[in-house]
Formats: sequence, C-alpha cells, structure tokens
Amino acid sequence: MLFSSITFIYYFLPLLLITYFIVPSKFKNIILLIFSLLFYFLGEPKYIIILILSSIINYYLSKLISKNKYKKVLLIIAIIYNIGSLLLFKYTDFFIANINNIFNTSIPFMYIVMPIGISFYTFQALGYVIDVYNKKHEPAKNIIEFMTYLTLFPQLIAGPIVRYSDIKNELTKRTTSFSKFSEGIKRFVIGLSKKVLIANVLGEFTGLIIEETLISAWLKPIAYTLQIYFDFSGYSDMAIGLGLMFGFRFLENFNYPLIANSITDFWRRWHISLSSWFKDYVYIPLGGNIVSMLKWIRNIFVVWFLTGFWHGASWNFILWGVYFGVILIIEKLLLKKHLDKTKILKYIYTSILIIISFMIFNSLTLNEIFLNLKNMFYMNNIPVINKETIYYIRDYLVIFIIAIISSTPLLKNTIKKIRNTKLNVIINVLEPVTYIILLTLCTAYLIDASFNPFLYFRF
Amino acid sequence: MKDKITVIIFISYLLLFSITHIIIKDQEMSYSERRYLATFPEFELSGEYIKELDEYLLDHFPLRNTFRSIKANFSYKVLNKLENNDIYLKNSYIFKSNYPTNYKSISNFINKTNKIKGLLQEENNIYMMIIPDKNYYIKDKHFLNIDYDYIYNEISNLDINNIDIKDLMELKDYYETDTHWKQEKLEKVIKRLSDKMNFEYKKIEYQKHVYDKFYGVYYGESAINRSPEKLKYLTNEIIDNAEVKYLENKELNKVYNKNKLDSFDAYEVYLDGASALIEIINNEASTNKELVIFRDSFGSSISPLLIPYYSRITVIDNRYINSDNIKNYIEFKNQDVLFIYSTLIINESFSLKG
Repeated sequence: MLFSSITFIYYFLPLLLITYFIVPSKFKNIILLIFSLLFYFLGEPKYIIILILSSIINYYLSKLISKNKYKKVLLIIAIIYNIGSLLLFKYTDFFIANINNIFNTSIPFMYIVMPIGISFYTFQALGYVIDVYNKKHEPAKNIIEFMTYLTLFPQLIAGPIVRYSDIKNELTKRTTSFSKFSEGIKRFVIGLSKKVLIANVLGEFTGLIIEETLISAWLKPIAYTLQIYFDFSGYSDMAIGLGLMFGFRFLENFNYPLIANSITDFWRRWHISLSSWFKDYVYIPLGGNIVSMLKWIRNIFVVWFLTGFWHGASWNFILWGVYFGVILIIEKLLLKKHLDKTKILKYIYTSILIIISFMIFNSLTLNEIFLNLKNMFYMNNIPVINKETIYYIRDYLVIFIIAIISSTPLLKNTIKKIRNTKLNVIINVLEPVTYIILLTLCTAYLIDASFNPFLYFRF
Repeated sequence: MKDKITVIIFISYLLLFSITHIIIKDQEMSYSERRYLATFPEFELSGEYIKELDEYLLDHFPLRNTFRSIKANFSYKVLNKLENNDIYLKNSYIFKSNYPTNYKSISNFINKTNKIKGLLQEENNIYMMIIPDKNYYIKDKHFLNIDYDYIYNEISNLDINNIDIKDLMELKDYYETDTHWKQEKLEKVIKRLSDKMNFEYKKIEYQKHVYDKFYGVYYGESAINRSPEKLKYLTNEIIDNAEVKYLENKELNKVYNKNKLDSFDAYEVYLDGASALIEIINNEASTNKELVIFRDSFGSSISPLLIPYYSRITVIDNRYINSDNIKNYIEFKNQDVLFIYSTLIINESFSLKG
C-alpha cells in the first residue's frame, strides 16, 4: 500500500488511529504490529511470510548471541541469512545475466519478484543483530516488541532505516500528545505534497519523449534530480510524520541535500540513514580512515560499490556508487580545500556533479549514459533549443521554480523569521488552513491521476 | 490549543470523506468520463487486490468530479500549465494534444489502406478525404502540433484521388468540447465531394433537430465546468425513408439512433456510433450509383448527407471489421469508394484492423 493513496489516507490511517487510541497502552504495540502486517499484506500478500520469517530468525539469533555462546558463528549465520535472502530475491537474475554474458552460457532467468521493502528491513535486522553482538544494546524483550520494530509500517517499505537503539525506549514506553500528533500531521502533509504535487508532476516532465536539444539534455536530469529528491524525502517526511502520530521520533533522513557545497557535504545530507548504516557497519569495521592510504581508498570503494549495488541490480547503480567514491577520494585528497575558498563555484561544481549522478542513476544502459553525456556537453550535433523544448519549459516553468525554492531552506527560514515578529498570529491562523488546502490538493491530484509510483520502492 | 485544533481538523477531514463514502450509495457510471465505475473487488491473494481496491475507492470518492476540477484549475491557474492530462484550453475550446507525430502509425495507415485497395476492382473510382482534426486550426504559434504536411504528403503518394478540405474547414465547424465536426457545417464538404467525385450537387433542405445537452469527449477529460453545447442532426424525407441495416444492431433500421442522445456519447446518434458495417438503401434515388465509405467516427455524421446522391451506400469502419471479412458482405464492382479518415486516426492507426 502506498502512503500517497486514497486507501491509506482516508481508510487505513483513520481506522488505525481510532483503534490505536482506543485500546489500553499495553495493547498498543500489538495493534501497531497487526496493522503493520496488514499494511504489508495488502501490498504483498505472498511475501509477508518472508518478512515474518526474517523477524523470527533475527530475533532468536540475536537472543542467542546475547547469551555469548557461539556468538561469532551465530553472527555469521545471521549475516549469511540476511545478505543471502537479499542476494536471492534482489540479485539472482543480475548474476545470471552477467554469468551468461561472461561465460557465454544460457542459464535461464528465475524471474524472482523482489519483496517490497526487503532492502530496508534486511538492513534494519542486520544492523540490529550486529549491535546486539557488539553489545551496543540488549536484544528486544520479546518477539512482539522486535516485530513491532522491524515491521513498523511507516518505515517498513521505503525507509528511513531506523536503528533499534534510536527507538528502543519508545517501543516499550512512549508518550503521545496533541503537540507531537499535530507535528506529525504537518510533517505527513508536507511529505505527501512533496510527493504528489511536486515529484509526480516533475515525473511527467522526465517521462516526455522529445527531440534532444542542449537545453533539454540538461533539463531532464535536473528535473529527475528534483523529482527523486521530492519523491524520496517526501516519503521520509511522511514516515517521520506517521511515527510522530504514534509517539516515535525517527531521525532525519534528508537535510536539504541540493544546497550542498561539496559531494562530501551532499552525502551528509542525502539518505542519511543509509550512508550512516554503511559507515557504521562496513566502513568503520574495515578500518575507516585510520589505515594506510591504499586501504582507505579500498574502504571507500567497497562502501560506494555496495551503496550503488544496494540501489539496484544493475550496472548503472554500481557505476553511480563508484562515481561518488571516486569524487569523494578526489575531494578529500585534492579539491576540498580549494573548493572551500570559493563562494559560488563550489555550489555550481556540486550541482553539476549531482545532476550528472542522477542522469547515470536514471539511465538503463552504459550506451544511454554516454549518449546523455555527449548531449549534455554538446558533443553531439543537436540544436541548442527548439520549439518543443520552449513549449515544455513554458508548461513546467512554475513547477520548476516551486521545486527549486522548496529544495532550499528559504521558505522554512522565512517562516521562522516571521514567527519571531508580531505577524506570528497570522502564521498561526494560516498554518492549519494551508495544511488543509495542501491535503485537498493532494487528494485532488490522487483522484485525477494514475501516475503515482514511488521511485524508491524498486530499491 | 493550536495543536488540538490542528488534530481535530485533520481527523475530521479524513473521517468526513471516509464516512460519507460508506453512507452514500455507489454510482454505477460516470457520464463525464463515459465509463462504468469500478465495483468493490473480491479478495484475492495477490498484490492486484490492493490495486483494485484503490481503483474502487478512487472511483467512488465523495465529490470526485469536484476534486478533479480542483486539480485542473490548480494546474492551469496556479501552476500555469499549458496542458492538464494533455488537455489544452483556448478560448471556449477544449483541445487534446496528439503530439508527437507517430511516423510508425502513419506508415501502418498507408499499409492498411493499400490492403483494402487490394480488394477493389479497376472499375472502382477511389477517393481519399483526410479530415484535419481541430488542432490544425489552433491559432497559437506555440502549440505543439503533429506534422500535418508529412501526413498529407504521405497520403498523396497513394495512388488515390485526394480530396483536400483543409481550406474549407474552420475551428467553428468543430464542437468546442468534442473531437468531431458538426454535421450542420458539412454542406460545403458535400459540395467539394460533388466536384471531385462527379456527382451533381443539389441544394437540399433539411430539418434541424437540436439536442442541447451535449458534452463532448474532451469535456469529461478536461474536468472543467462549462455549459453544454448544441448537437444538431439533419433529416429530410430521403434520409427518413432510407432503408438501413446494421451488421450488429439488427433492431435498428434508421440513420439516427435517438436513444443514443441520452447515452455516454450523444455523438453516437449518427449511424449508431461504433458499427462495423452499415448498408443504406435510398429507394428514391434518381441514380444507380453506389458508394462504399471506409471511415472512422467522423464519417458517421457526413454519411447521411450523401444518401440523396446514391442508391446504396455501404459504410465500413475497419476498426471493427477485418479487411478479409469485408468480402463476405460486399462485392466490389464499379462503386465509388471513399476513404474518410481524420488525422487523429492516422496518427493512432493501430486500432485499424488488418
């Protein structure tokens, strides 16, 4: 089920909220667990068994690990189980295709359908087991508590990757309040608006099949960069908002990444829960940067190869990850100190590299990547602009402007400033009206449109 | 207090619509969208169930048309979009973009036409009349239009007498809310056909019947509130007395099916709308000449106006009948054969059967 669906917003959510707030505190986790499983079951009925199995296996393995007997063996079993299931469901056909290509074999494809959210909940489970192994926290008190954590519907299928340690207190005892609930509503509506009113509309632009011009060769990846940002950060906002409604406070997953002044800065702001997961569970165990230069370079490449590969079973994702790895090494060794001295150049440099990265991310083949690069850098014989490009610029101009402004903290800071003045009263009146208008507009767009896929569901 | 109000407003807003939906009775059909609405799905153990449930809840959401209208107005007026769901508004007219030019489709149309030509005899006089869709007449230099010159050029390469009517038509000859041309504006086209097809043009008197609640196909798609249009259909004694046989609808024996005026698509009043093959016999004709028309929906409204000039007209819509099957219903000898297709179908010709 999608958050940005009428079924979720107008039926699933009110029913859950009513049930959740009616029952006594001791049943609240059970209610959340039942509704989370129902949420998953409705979208992926057959694969719910994989999710339940993952919950049970990881819970009992970590329980045994905490008893200190054969803990290393048990940890290896947990890693093999989690990574194995991810490899099986997500990467089998990718490996078959590459083996067939390299060895000229004809192993038939298995066409395994990937269970929704497996990349996210597998990483959560794996992180949990490793943390128990490292004694960072105790294992969950009971299976219900662990399953409530792992299957918690706001973050189950598209993140953020929530650490058990971040919400373990809230899992046992959490408080809900009008203030938290109201904050959650606002966050949810903002996320929904980002997804429905901006990302989906930009998605129409990126989907246009038009004659390539120099301007369109840039506008398309720019639109896609904005689309994927609003799509994914919108989803994270909705998850965080829903968490707040039920008394959970998830960590932020995005911090205006498109205003980053270097790629290093970008990755501190983009998909924070994933990059910190790789940092804590891969980069640091490999030695991080307290090793020789060669080993450090190896560590960077391993992390960024895995980051790319995590995003999908395709070479363009691997290339996308390695691309960032290379840039991060260059920045750290050469560029960063020079960039820091510039005022505007660092933003232009970062923006161009981010746009190119998402062009790679959105390309299906290496040929497509090279063709797009040639178009972007005017190495193909294409016109600078034509009537078609002008028409679509006119058609999408306002949404581009809204998206660009909304990708910066400008609006947030302006409201903050007004709040410190006498005009705060006006903000207080306008705020609920604005959220209702946004919810109405999102509803209108959902009713009118069938174009509504979440980009991050394929990862 | 402020937070309490926000929570109460939000929850009430959600419940208002979900409870209203539960209380009110489901509609069976949507006239503005010309389709039956989804019914409550039976449970099945697959991801399809939630898609069907979404579809059902979307179809029956309270104030559905109002929400669609809000979206359209927001798109045009706030986002300043030129198109909403490919719908382009200009003055009181609703246009649907058929851009870009579909070269494969044009080539397919040429092949299909040649296949039909293969059924014809040397004695047949063959004509082709391409109807420009109303986008051709948009007076907006920025609007993205298909390559009409390419289409007309390709058609001219067919070994068929071309009847060009681009210069005859104007935007006002088309409905504001629909794809089609208006029957009452087609007398000039009949005159052009008489010049090119060598039949003697007559000034014929018609009775005009008016249906004043016509909403065309683009009205529903646009989701913009506006007043209905007038749909007129022309009759006279010859048209009324013509013997008409429909391949599918055996009960109907008239040129106009007035029951269709209250259906999803009132334009189907002309020749019953989608019909594979229709035979019209004019017993009062002063000639033995026969006509075979291969057509799309634009042909429905012009065909009745040709009845006075022929003793028999066979109207074939090859979106619903295979060319191999046509031979079972008609023997080609020396008839006039007229292809009437709009540029819309040429640019989307894969609905034509082989």
